[in-house]
Amino acid sequence: MYDPKMTTAFDDNHDNDTSKSDEPFLVMDLEVVQCQVSPTIPSQIGHPAPETLFNINVDGLRVRTECKSFTYGTPQDVKKAIEELRQTFPQSRVSTDPDVLHLHGSSENSYHPSSPHSVVVQASSTEDVVKVVNISRKYRVPIIPYSGATSLEGHFNGHSSGSICLDMSTMDKILEINEADGDLTCQAGARWEDINSTLTEKGIPLFFPLDPGPGATIGGMVGTGCSGTNAVRYGTAKAEWFLNLTVVLPSGKVIKTRRRARKSAAGFDTTKLFIGAEGTLGIITEATLRLTTRVPTKVAMAQFPNVEMAVNAVNDILKTPYGPHIQCAELLDDNMMSAINAAGLVDRPYPVQDTLFFKLQGSPESIMETSRTVQEIANKYGSSRFEFASTDEEAEEIWQNRKYALMSTLGAHPGTKCWTTDVCVPTSKLPRLVYETKADLAKAGLKYTIVGHVGDGNFHALILFSDEKELEVVNAAVHRLVHRAIAMDGTCSGEHGVGIGKTEYLVEELGEGTVELMKTVKCAVDPLNLLNPGKLYPQNHPNHRRHDS
Amino acid sequence: MPFTTSRPFHQIFTNVLKRFSQRNLRPSSTLTNLQPKPITNTLHSSYLQTTQSGFRYALLAGGISFSVALAGILHATRDKSRTPPLIDIPAKSNTTSNSPDFPGAIGALLQEFHERSIVSTDPQELYAYAQSSYSQTPGLPHTVVVHVQSTEDVVKVVNISRKHLVPIVPYSGGTSLEGNLSAPCSGSICVDLSGMDKILAINESDADVVCQAGVTWNDLNETLREKGIPLFFPLDPGRDATIGGMISTGCSGTNAVKYGTARGEWILNATVVLPSGEVIKTRQRARKSSAGFDLTKLFIGAEGTLGIVTEATLRLAPLLPTRVAVVQFPDVWRATNAVCDILNQGVAMQCVEIIDELGIKTLNAFGTSDKVWPEKVTLFFKFQGAEDVIRNNSNLTAKVMAQHEASDYRLAENEEEGELIWQDRRNALFAGLAYLPGCKGWITDVCVPVSRLPDLIHAAKKDFEELGLVAPIAGHVGDGNFHALVLYRDEAELVLVREAVSRINRKAIELEGTCTGEHGVGTGKREYLLSELGQGTVSLMRMIKQTIDPHNLFNPGKLYPEPVLASPSSPTVVSSM
Repeated sequence: MYDPKMTTAFDDNHDNDTSKSDEPFLVMDLEVVQCQVSPTIPSQIGHPAPETLFNINVDGLRVRTECKSFTYGTPQDVKKAIEELRQTFPQSRVSTDPDVLHLHGSSENSYHPSSPHSVVVQASSTEDVVKVVNISRKYRVPIIPYSGATSLEGHFNGHSSGSICLDMSTMDKILEINEADGDLTCQAGARWEDINSTLTEKGIPLFFPLDPGPGATIGGMVGTGCSGTNAVRYGTAKAEWFLNLTVVLPSGKVIKTRRRARKSAAGFDTTKLFIGAEGTLGIITEATLRLTTRVPTKVAMAQFPNVEMAVNAVNDILKTPYGPHIQCAELLDDNMMSAINAAGLVDRPYPVQDTLFFKLQGSPESIMETSRTVQEIANKYGSSRFEFASTDEEAEEIWQNRKYALMSTLGAHPGTKCWTTDVCVPTSKLPRLVYETKADLAKAGLKYTIVGHVGDGNFHALILFSDEKELEVVNAAVHRLVHRAIAMDGTCSGEHGVGIGKTEYLVEELGEGTVELMKTVKCAVDPLNLLNPGKLYPQNHPNHRRHDS
Repeated sequence: MPFTTSRPFHQIFTNVLKRFSQRNLRPSSTLTNLQPKPITNTLHSSYLQTTQSGFRYALLAGGISFSVALAGILHATRDKSRTPPLIDIPAKSNTTSNSPDFPGAIGALLQEFHERSIVSTDPQELYAYAQSSYSQTPGLPHTVVVHVQSTEDVVKVVNISRKHLVPIVPYSGGTSLEGNLSAPCSGSICVDLSGMDKILAINESDADVVCQAGVTWNDLNETLREKGIPLFFPLDPGRDATIGGMISTGCSGTNAVKYGTARGEWILNATVVLPSGEVIKTRQRARKSSAGFDLTKLFIGAEGTLGIVTEATLRLAPLLPTRVAVVQFPDVWRATNAVCDILNQGVAMQCVEIIDELGIKTLNAFGTSDKVWPEKVTLFFKFQGAEDVIRNNSNLTAKVMAQHEASDYRLAENEEEGELIWQDRRNALFAGLAYLPGCKGWITDVCVPVSRLPDLIHAAKKDFEELGLVAPIAGHVGDGNFHALVLYRDEAELVLVREAVSRINRKAIELEGTCTGEHGVGTGKREYLLSELGQGTVSLMRMIKQTIDPHNLFNPGKLYPEPVLASPSSPTVVSSM
């Protein structure tokens, strides 16, 4: 019989917990749960979040579910935590060397405010992670997980209260390859490229199709909800590529979210809770990945009079019976083509026009047929030139140019830095968004190039700047771009994640209720807000800094 | 219990089944066969769908009750039937703040919804809305049914439910297999979303569609076809399943080999009414987004326990030419091994289905097929793509199949022949039910990594044999998922069935699989969740449930296993889930 006055708890919160006895994790008192945010340390997940959701009056009985009060550890506590880490782990795995701290707390590729970590710990097993999580909880020192360090949105920046950087990059082993089932179990620090080259070396005709930036690791890919050029054909990390995850929860408890079957209807899938959670709900230590058959590919390239024609051509091609043979459809705008020429990476210059790069897959015959179809449709949309790479070398060269878009952009404009945007909209809105963005950037007098995953409606404007003043202009332009995308039913982030950089857009994009629910989940899973605080969830300060103010 | 079969009834019933299957009229709407048994109480009485559109039900008296469950029963129940009440609603007199206040809730509902047809306490409806076309166990009747028309209506009901602490059970397609629609013992408000069946926007150039939760996937695809839009929604569970139910179950179907399941990226966003009464839309309409963890996924497979889905934006896929092929094997072992083999060769396959020799035998006996199949294990393939691609893939498949001692590989000449062959696969369920006079069928739903499938099917068949059960098998072997239709005629056999089902489920979990590939947990499989997912994962799920629905009002008694108390002396008590 239901009784709302019952104090509720979960069956597992009394055992397994080796930490302090006042551990509040998982204990929720439905009747009276107070939530105070420390007056000195601003809450990163926003104080009244759950209250708005569960502000329920039942016959005068006020029921609220909220976070327990918490404060982060003092500098003294941080010191104690470091001390305990040193006692727990071998010398070589714990570092407070300023260079190491700096290296782990900032990225070449993002320009978000950052604090150095207090200490970096290298985990070598799930058990190590549990130990670090328990120490973090004991001394109330936030943990920032770190692995590939390719994030673009400040995901692994340190926290101002002092933070433990949990370096997962040495947990990079492939634990098991089940060729017959088309799956593989590996540790979170394994890089997708290494996984694929290992499979090739072993002569296994399978691969893992998610292809974000070079160097990205499985843990980070899960955390970011990544995708890449293959998303047209294979979808993103939010699809069904992660069969299960092993996660260390903020309580120190280790869970494995699913077993290894390809599909399961056993309740909502907690795997998905961690995909895109940016390390704020748990630390991923292992994962079972679904693999897919490696299919021969070839590359083709077509120039178009404008972006709209190119996008429409892709949409048409995807609807033909040869649509499934399109593995990638990438747009490089005229500026990008010009940058590739200028960077001197090609033997002969490309025409400076909006260009589509295609990766076609299938048997040689079906690739030929697909190529013919692509050419026909491209012609229909005014394509002036179509080039099919007949050899693998040629294909490799063309694709290299797409892959090194960022390097080419920087190479063509020496001495500049580059801000990468990441909006994504319904595909039919992409041409308008690209036009308006190009016009806006030109008006602001900014140099930029554009590469896009047009099959998904996602594009990156690589906007260049050389000094602080220009950075301000870029900031404002990016802000306008994101608002434009959200107004078109799109998102501030197609594949790079929210991190620090985009928290301010989340309410506008997802709505207050959705963001509150995300915070509620965060609050329930990590009531002390120790896992990657300051990322993902917008702060509830009404006057928080906006880029354009 | 003494068991007799009424042959004439059985024949009539078989004919009804055949008619449904041939005309493709809600074929899913008939599951159980004649079940002769003495009437003990009226609760076991049920309904028979006699017409497709008008829909009447007949109360069968005189010692025989048809446990024929019927999709669509509910629309009809609204034109008030004159039959006397079938059940008594237990009176709820004590209305303290801690226990459900049904009279208060019903009063509030009647006040809120002025049109009388929206709120119903007609006992027949209360019973009917707790049943599923597929389910074997009768669901407990609701206390009141509300036929909502909009998200706002749902919010009103949710607010009333919370105020009066009355549980809510959502209903739409009525095709659930695991008792998801049953009322809890305390009674419940049933929110009937089947009237919310509008397609709100079709964005052809973005390949997506916005629709209400009560839209069925087959109607959606039919609408797209009629409008000449060359797109379709590829999730294909049982016919007449609705989008809301499909999301809540985390469904899939035969197309999962190519397109994956509801847990993939087919649901771009969902509009959900939370237990707090708040309405959220989980995402915008872009095909992908890394803006945090995706709350859409929280509601996929949550079986209505975390929120009620009222609208959704669905990604559509281009309609491609398809072609069916069949091939036969001497045994399940070779057939499943052949499937593992071909899947890893990268052949563009939309579906890979299996029917075992017993299933084929029941099909032949059913007599709807235009041919008599050799009684062997049969694989059904659906290839897709351009003509030349299909040819190539078919040739490769034929070659691989031959390596596994297959016989009679045949690629259908054209789509028509393919459709005929596929129809036989679709009829497997009905054929199985018609096979034994007076039987019911229990459908299992285990799923394992594909390479383990031969082991699992082998073990299952051995168990059936050992227990003396008849259980034709049909399944989505391409995903490692199969269904055994375990037939039983009486209580004694039902005991054996439970034993067999329990063995299969445990075996599947042991083989790193799941007790449910696509049907969900409901009331039937809660006990397996702990061994499948582990204590930690189940606790996490429960914690999220507790956080979002602190009163446990949303579909209580489903999905989450009965909590285990740490110790009897523990000061904390786990609330009933």
